[in-house]
Amino acid sequence: MYKKFRQAWPFLLPGLAGLLLFYFIPFVGGVWYSLTDGSFENKFVGLQNYTTVWQNQMFQLGLRNTMELSLICAPALFLLSFLLAAVLHRIRPAGAFFRSSVLMPYLMPSSAVLIIWLLWFDYGGPVNRLLTVLGGQRVDWLMGAELRLPVILLFLWKNLGFCVIVFLSALQAIPDVLYEYATLEGAGFRKQTFAITLPLVVPSAFLVLILSFVSAFRIFKEVFFIGGAYPEEPLYTLQNYMNNMYGKLNYQNVTTAAYIFAGMVFVLFGVLFLSQRQALRRLNGGD
Amino acid sequence: MRTGKRFQLRLARALLALLAILMLLPMVQTFLYSFSSIPEMKAFMKTRGSRDEAAWMEAHLSPHILSLGQYEQILIKDHTVLGYFINSVGYAAAILFGQALIIPALAFGLSKFRFRGREVIFFLILILMLLPFQVTMVPNVLTLRFLGMLNTPWAVVLPMWFAPFYIFLLRQYMIALPDELLEAASMDGAGPFRSFLRIVLPVCRPVLGAAAALSFAENWNLVEQPLTYLSSRPELMPLSTVFNQLAGENTGFEFAGAALYILPALLVYLFFQEDILSGIQLTEMK
Repeated sequence: MYKKFRQAWPFLLPGLAGLLLFYFIPFVGGVWYSLTDGSFENKFVGLQNYTTVWQNQMFQLGLRNTMELSLICAPALFLLSFLLAAVLHRIRPAGAFFRSSVLMPYLMPSSAVLIIWLLWFDYGGPVNRLLTVLGGQRVDWLMGAELRLPVILLFLWKNLGFCVIVFLSALQAIPDVLYEYATLEGAGFRKQTFAITLPLVVPSAFLVLILSFVSAFRIFKEVFFIGGAYPEEPLYTLQNYMNNMYGKLNYQNVTTAAYIFAGMVFVLFGVLFLSQRQALRRLNGGD
Repeated sequence: MRTGKRFQLRLARALLALLAILMLLPMVQTFLYSFSSIPEMKAFMKTRGSRDEAAWMEAHLSPHILSLGQYEQILIKDHTVLGYFINSVGYAAAILFGQALIIPALAFGLSKFRFRGREVIFFLILILMLLPFQVTMVPNVLTLRFLGMLNTPWAVVLPMWFAPFYIFLLRQYMIALPDELLEAASMDGAGPFRSFLRIVLPVCRPVLGAAAALSFAENWNLVEQPLTYLSSRPELMPLSTVFNQLAGENTGFEFAGAALYILPALLVYLFFQEDILSGIQLTEMK
C-alpha cells in the first residue's frame, strides 16, 4: 500500500532493533562461543566443542529424550486435533460448547493444574482405580519410565485446543458450495474428503504439525511440573542439560548444544516441508 | 443408512461430552477443593503416595464442610503465595505493555508498506518463530549478560517484547486487510500513522484480542525463562514455578493457591473467547 520506506521505518524501528539485539546478532555472534575454549585467552578450537558436546552422555540422554517425547507428542497432538476438528466441524451449530471447553486449557496455567494431575495419577488415585475396575493392575505412574504418560497427557491436555482451532478455521474456510456440487455429481463422503477437504487443508495441516513440534520441544515445562528441576533419567530433557551447563557458566557448551539442536530441527522441518509438497502434488494431480 | 448416520452422530456427541468433561474437570476440581478446610485437605493429601495395595485415596469432588479457611490463610495470614502472585502479575503486565507498543506497529510496517527486503525480514522472523526455545534462549542469554540484566526481572520481560509468534499472528491478519481501506483514508489526507491508529487497529480488534489473550496465557505460565534467568533470585520467581514445591509441602492450602492462580486466566479466557475463535488465521502462509 504505502511505497515510501521513509514512512515505514518509525513503525519498524523499535521492533527490528529489539529483534536484532536479542535474537539475530547474538545468534550469529554466538557461533564464536561455540568455536572457542572459554579460557582466559579464549583460544580458537575449531569444532572441538561440537565433538565434546556430541559425545557427552548427558547431552545424548537429553537430546534422545527430547526427540522421543516430541516424536510422540507432536504427531499425537496433530492427529487428535485433526480428528476433533473434523468431528466438531460436522456437528457445527451444536459444537460451540465443545469448542470452547477444548480451547479452555490452552489459556489455563498448567502449573496450577499440576496438583490435580498428581492426585489423578497417584498410586491410590482415580486413574489406577479406573484401571482396576477395568480388570487391570495398578501402575506406579509417578516413578521411573511410567512418569512419561502423565507428562505427555498434561502436554496434550494443554495444547490440544489451539491446534483444533487452527484446523477448524481452515475447515470453515472451505466454501460449502464445493461440497454441494460434489454431492450433485454423486461423490460420496470419502471421495469428497480426498478430493476437496484434504488438498485445501494441507497447508494449515503442515503449519499445525510444525507448531506442534515447536511446542513439543518445550515439553520441559510439563517435565518440570511433574518431575521437578532434577528429573529421573526417562524425563531428563535437553533443556535440563542446557540449564545445567548454564548454571556452571559453561557458555561454550550451551551455545554448541543449541546449534546442534537447531541443525537437527531444521533437517526435520525440511523433510516435513518436502513431504508436504509431495502430498500436495499427489492430491492435486491424482485422480 | 440413515439410522446408522444418526447413531454415529450420537456416538460422536457422547464422546465429545466425555472429552469436554475431562478437559474442564481439573479446573472444576481445583475450585471445589479450594473450599475445603485446611485440616481436611491436609489429611486428604497425606494419603497420597501410599504403596498399600488395599488402600485407595478417597474419591470425592466436593468438600465435606464448606470453608474459606484456605483463602483466609493465603490472603490474610500468610502472604507467600500472594507475593509470588504479585510477581506473576508484574511480569504479565510488563510483557503485555511492551508487546502492545512494539508488535502491532511492526506487523503494520511489515504488511502495508512495500520496500525492498520486506519478505526477507518476514522470512527471518518466521525462522525465529520455528526455532525451539532451547535455541533462542542462547542469544537471549548472551545479550542479557552483555547488558548486565541476568538475575533481574528485565531478563524475563525484555526478550518477550519481541516474541516472533505474535508478530507473525498480527502480520497474517493485517496483510489480508484490503488496501482500499487505507487508500480511502489517504484521500482524506490521513497519513500512515493516523490510519494505523484510527483504522487498522480498530479493524484488527479480533486478532489483537486473540494475541493479547494467548500472550497472557504464555506469560502467566512462564517456567523456562525464570528458572534459567533468575536462578539466583528465588524471590523474583513467578507463581508458576512455585507450585511444584507447594504440591510437595502438603500445606493444606495448595488448592486455594491454584484457584487464585487460575482465576485471572479464566477471566481473560471468558472475555476474549470470541476473539480467539475468530481472530486466529494462520493460513495463507507463503
